[in-house]
Amino acid sequence: MVENHRREDHETGGENKEKRPKFFINDHVDILIEILERLDGRSLCVAASVCRLWCTIARNDSLWENLCFSHVSPPPSSVRSVVLALGGYKRLYTGCVRPVRSRLGRVRRASWARDEVQLSLSLFCVDYYERLGGSNSNGRLVEKSSPSSLMFLCKPVNV
Amino acid sequence: MLRYDSTSSSAGSSSGSLSSSSSSSKPPQQDIDGLLAGAGYKVRSSELRQVAQRLERLETAMGNSPADFSQLASDAILYNPSDLACWVDSLLTEFAEPPPTCSSDFIVDPVNNQTVVNSAWTAAEPHTPQVHQNITYDEQQSLDNQLTVVTAMEEDSGIRLVHMLMTCAECVQSGDLSLAASLIDDMQGLLTHVNTVCGIGKVAGHFIDALSRRIFQGMGGGSVNGGSAFENEILYHHFYEACPYLKFAHFTANQAILEAFDGHDCVHVVDFNLMHGLQWPALIQALALRPGGPPLLRLTGIGPPSPDGRDSLREIGLRLAELARSVNVRFAFRGVAASRLEDVKPWMLQVNPKEAVAVNSIMQLHRLLGSEQTRNSPIDTVLSWIRGLNPKIMTVVEQEANHNQPGFLDRFTEALYYYSTMFDSLEACRVQPEKALAEIYIQREIGNVVSCEGSARVERHEPLAKWRRRLSGAGFRALHLGSNAFKQASMLLTLFSAEGYSVEENEGCLSLGWHSSPLIAASAWQAVPAWDNHMSSS
Repeated sequence: MVENHRREDHETGGENKEKRPKFFINDHVDILIEILERLDGRSLCVAASVCRLWCTIARNDSLWENLCFSHVSPPPSSVRSVVLALGGYKRLYTGCVRPVRSRLGRVRRASWARDEVQLSLSLFCVDYYERLGGSNSNGRLVEKSSPSSLMFLCKPVNV
Repeated sequence: MLRYDSTSSSAGSSSGSLSSSSSSSKPPQQDIDGLLAGAGYKVRSSELRQVAQRLERLETAMGNSPADFSQLASDAILYNPSDLACWVDSLLTEFAEPPPTCSSDFIVDPVNNQTVVNSAWTAAEPHTPQVHQNITYDEQQSLDNQLTVVTAMEEDSGIRLVHMLMTCAECVQSGDLSLAASLIDDMQGLLTHVNTVCGIGKVAGHFIDALSRRIFQGMGGGSVNGGSAFENEILYHHFYEACPYLKFAHFTANQAILEAFDGHDCVHVVDFNLMHGLQWPALIQALALRPGGPPLLRLTGIGPPSPDGRDSLREIGLRLAELARSVNVRFAFRGVAASRLEDVKPWMLQVNPKEAVAVNSIMQLHRLLGSEQTRNSPIDTVLSWIRGLNPKIMTVVEQEANHNQPGFLDRFTEALYYYSTMFDSLEACRVQPEKALAEIYIQREIGNVVSCEGSARVERHEPLAKWRRRLSGAGFRALHLGSNAFKQASMLLTLFSAEGYSVEENEGCLSLGWHSSPLIAASAWQAVPAWDNHMSSS
């Protein structure tokens, strides 16, 4: 048995059919994508630091798109072009959707799910607009190097 | 210390006391609690805790055996209630309460205990401003009490500051400037005793500054309005970040405009104060995603002319155009530079008769109000040409305050209350430097309300009820803002902070407030068709 294992380590093709075939997930990227599609945001970020292949897959915006719309019915296709133009779904999720959802989690009503996403989109758009201003350093609006319209989402506000 | 030892009958009848051993020496006068003495009760400060506990037990006993009440009423021996300790003891024995064997029975919840003591402090405060110093408690209690003493002193200084501010404002109104000036000095001295980082001290500081400017520099406004347009924009931007008032205004107005533009392919928005154009990205995005596709959007932004040749309006327009291009919305921008809103003429806006027009005024209409109610005041002129544009919707957001009264003292009082509330709400913001700059923004408003007069005073806020009358009289009717706007506003507020801010709906208008004091109100209007040209007398 031990010899068989040793032999398999050195073989690349795996011609000898073992009673227990080794399964390496990275050989089956389609299954990997299916699994990663079902992860939540934090797990997806953790997954991105496993290896280069996982990182590449996790960066794929469509995974984050699923996360953004996980609680609502799929939006019309026009949404995708808008979101991609404004910076992509990963940015939308990490910057807006996740903090909005966690903040509203305490008082959320079931009907708010769609409105949460819409509000996130609006805030995302304001953020993109501010980033535009920062990059066009024309001497007037460079007071802040980083856009801050979403800062109230980042820092929890306690009265 | 067992209770019987501590009870000693002072001068007075009190025959019901079952104190066995007690030394009948008269307690030293300074040990009598001063605040309760003011109410007519003699209690030794050292006994306050025990008396409080016994009062609670008496209350429970009375509640438990109501049948004994009648007995008390008929057979009562008159005890001297001013000697509170003995009186309570005797009543307790009437209820046949078994005497406690050890002091552990008196482990009442210290929180409850504290509240009894605290209420004694706060209740007596208006009468005796002097704080009672010599109290002998066990360690924990004395520490808590010291804190209560400090708070009481600070509260006291804060209250005195407010009183002095009112008196000073009264002097200013009556013209007694020398007395007002001396009051300013006193108040500035008092400020050193008060915490000026937060609370009443901070707001009071700003009001004292504004008053002194009014007294010593006249009413031209001086440095208050001297801030350049650039500075104002920066402060405005930080005010936008630090608190939700402007965000609420923008999102609510956008929702109303979006609903009004439903079904139209050519739309035109006129913004009375463009600033950085932070309101419009969200509208552009919402139009991009509306079912049926985006319309052609024209935006006309009005703003002050920028110095040194830079065209700030055009820069903002370019940024908005870039955003619109990214999301595939056909967009055209036009900037109108005017230092005052009344200088704008409708032909400058180049409104196309076929397009749906929305007029957006975020805290701009109040600047047109003058103190004299003449026939062709700027507000009437502007409102009439707005009507002439026949807009699909006019969104009006204004501070919910009455800062345009003719009497200075009334105005001052209102402003003090309003801006205290606003500063309170700002405490929730933890983001620096946004918070500090937002405070400067508010401080400038305070300065204008208090220290300026005539044409220099532009912050002439009026409450929603007045705006309703004014706009109805000018040929507009109110549009209801709808549940979507309310839902969005509620969500937005929850993002900022779950407690404190509140949205209220009032006859179709939304107002945002801090702990149910409304601070800013948003409403939507539409021109009434077939309005007669002569003005109605009202």
